[in-house]
Amino acid sequence: MALSEDQNELLLRHLNGQLGPSDEAKAAELLRGDAGARAFLRTVAEQAVVVADVERIGQHRPQPARVAAPVFRPWKWAVAVAAAFVLLAAFVIATTPPRHVAKVSAILGPCQFIAADGKVRDEVKVGTVLRVGDTIRTRSSSAWVKLDLNGGSLMTIAGRSRLRLLNVDGRRGFQLAYGNLWATVAQTAGAKLVSIQTPTATVEAEAAQFDVEAHSSTTIVRVNNGTANVVRLADGQAADVVADHLAVVAISRNRPFAATRQPEPVNQWNCRLHAGSGAVSGKWLPPDEKNSVRLGAIPLLIGKKTTLYVASFSVQCSSSPPVLIESGSRVRIRGTTQTDGPVYFGITTQRIKGVFFGKYTAKVGAGMLGQAGEPWQVEVPLSQFKPEAKHLPGSPAGMELSDIWIVSQDENAELEIHRVEFLPKEVGQ
Amino acid sequence: MALSEQDILKRLMGQRDRVSAAAWLVVRDAHAAEDIFQNVALKAMTKGAQFESGGALMSWAFITARREGIDWLRRRKNAPVCLDETILELLEQEWADEALGQAGGRSQALRDCLGELPAKSRDLLKRRYFDGHACEAVAEQLGTRLDAIYKRLSRLHQTLKKCIETKLEQPAG
Repeated sequence: MALSEDQNELLLRHLNGQLGPSDEAKAAELLRGDAGARAFLRTVAEQAVVVADVERIGQHRPQPARVAAPVFRPWKWAVAVAAAFVLLAAFVIATTPPRHVAKVSAILGPCQFIAADGKVRDEVKVGTVLRVGDTIRTRSSSAWVKLDLNGGSLMTIAGRSRLRLLNVDGRRGFQLAYGNLWATVAQTAGAKLVSIQTPTATVEAEAAQFDVEAHSSTTIVRVNNGTANVVRLADGQAADVVADHLAVVAISRNRPFAATRQPEPVNQWNCRLHAGSGAVSGKWLPPDEKNSVRLGAIPLLIGKKTTLYVASFSVQCSSSPPVLIESGSRVRIRGTTQTDGPVYFGITTQRIKGVFFGKYTAKVGAGMLGQAGEPWQVEVPLSQFKPEAKHLPGSPAGMELSDIWIVSQDENAELEIHRVEFLPKEVGQ
Repeated sequence: MALSEQDILKRLMGQRDRVSAAAWLVVRDAHAAEDIFQNVALKAMTKGAQFESGGALMSWAFITARREGIDWLRRRKNAPVCLDETILELLEQEWADEALGQAGGRSQALRDCLGELPAKSRDLLKRRYFDGHACEAVAEQLGTRLDAIYKRLSRLHQTLKKCIETKLEQPAG
C-alpha cells in the first residue's frame, strides 16, 4: 500500500533522530506492519549512500558568502574607502584560482625531489610542496608517494615513476615520464582540469578516478569513475574514456585506439614472457640451452651508494584482465642467481576498480633457491608477503594485483627471471 | 559447491549499494557506511568463511554490516536511536530477496537519475547525506522551515524512485 506523505515524513523524522518516544513507537509499528514503509526506508537508505558516493567524486563545496550593505556617513568615508580596498582584495583572492601545487601527504621508500631550478634532494618529507617545474621520482619498486592537489584531488605515484608539474594554460598540468599513477580528481569550484602528459598520450579529467601506466611506447589509461579525455599524441585522435573502460595508447598509429570496457577480473596470471609485453624493467638475454626466455635484472640506483637489481612485470602491460588477489593466492617465480644470497619478491596492489592500495614484499632466503647457478622455482603463498607500510592490513586479499617485481641486492647474483605466475589458491585449501 | 573468492567479491560489489544502505540505516553516516562495507568485503575474503550460495553470502553480509554498524554506534557518543533488530532483520531479508531477483543496472540508474536532478535538489541531498547535516541544520542553512525540508526530501526520494523505475523499464540498447 502506498504511504501517505505524512507517513513518509514520519520515517524521515525518525532517520533524523528527532522523534519523541511515542512517535518512535509509531514509526516502529509502521515499519513492522507495512511493507511499503520498509520499501520507502530502504529507498531512502540506498539513495543516501549513493548521493554520498557520487559527491565523493564530484565534491563541490562552495564557500558561503555574506554581503553586507554598508551605511555611509560623511565622517566614515576614510574608513569606507579602506574597507572597500580590503573587500576588493578579498574578492580578488577569493576568485583567483588556487596556484598549481602538489603537497606530499604520504611517502614510503626512496624518492628524489628535483626542483625547477635544478636543485636535487634525495630525501623528501611529508609536507614538501611541489610547484610548477618541480619533479618527484619514486626510485624503487617498493616506493610510493601520495600527493594532495588543491581542492581535494589526490594522486599517488608508485614503483619507478617520475612526475613533473607543468605549466599548461588553463590546466593543472603534469608530466608522467614513466611509471604508474593513480588519480582522484574532485570537481571543485574554480578548479581547473587536470592534464597528464605521458610519452604517448594526454589524459585530461575534470572529475574522475583513474589510473595511468606510462612507458616509452605505450600508455594505459583505466577509468573507474567519471570520464577522462585521452588524446593519442601520434595522430591527435581523441576518445572519451568513461567509467569501467580503458584505453591503450600506443606510439604507433597502426595500433587500434579506442575506449573498451574493462574485462572481468580473473584470479590467476601468467606473465607471458614469451610475448615480452609484461616485462617492464629488465634486459632481455639471449636464450641458452635451458631457457628460451631470460630477463636479466637491471641496476637501479635508489640512493647514495645503494643499488638494487630489479626485474618487474606489469599485469596491465601483459594485456591480462585485472587479477584479483585471494587469500590463498601464490606467486611462483622461476629464475637463476649466481651467488648464495636472498632475493625479494614484491607485489603492488590497488583497490578493485579503485585507487592505489599498497606494496607487499616477501624475502626468499638462499636456502629456498638451492645451489647457486642452478635454476630455481619458488612458490610463495600470499600469507608470507608482509605489508610495506604500517597502515596496511596484513593481507592484500580482495585487492587487485598491479605488478610483481623481483629484487636482489647483489650485483654478482646476476639475477635472471624465466617465468612469472600468480596462481589461485589450491583446490581444497 | 562453495563460492570462489572471485564470486564472493563480484557478488558483494554488485550489491554494494544495498549492503552500504543497510549499514547506513544503523549508523546514519554515509562515510561510516562505506567503511563498513569495505570491512564486510575484507572479512568475506580473509576470514575463511564458506558460502554455498549467493543467498547465504548476502544474508551473512547484511548481518555482518549490521553488527559492524552497532559496534560503530557503541564507540560514539550521541549516537542515533537504532531501529529494533527485528525490523532491521525484516529490511535485510527484503533486501536480500530483492538482490537475488533483480537484474543489474539499478545502481547506475540511480546515479543517472541523480545527475538529472536540478542543482537545488542535488544540493539539498548533498547537505543532508554527504555533509551529514541534520534536517534542522539544513533548514537553517537554507533559511527555510523544518517542515519544508522534510516535504522536499520526501518528494525527492519519491522522484528518484520513479526515475529509476522508468529507466529500468526502458528497453536496453
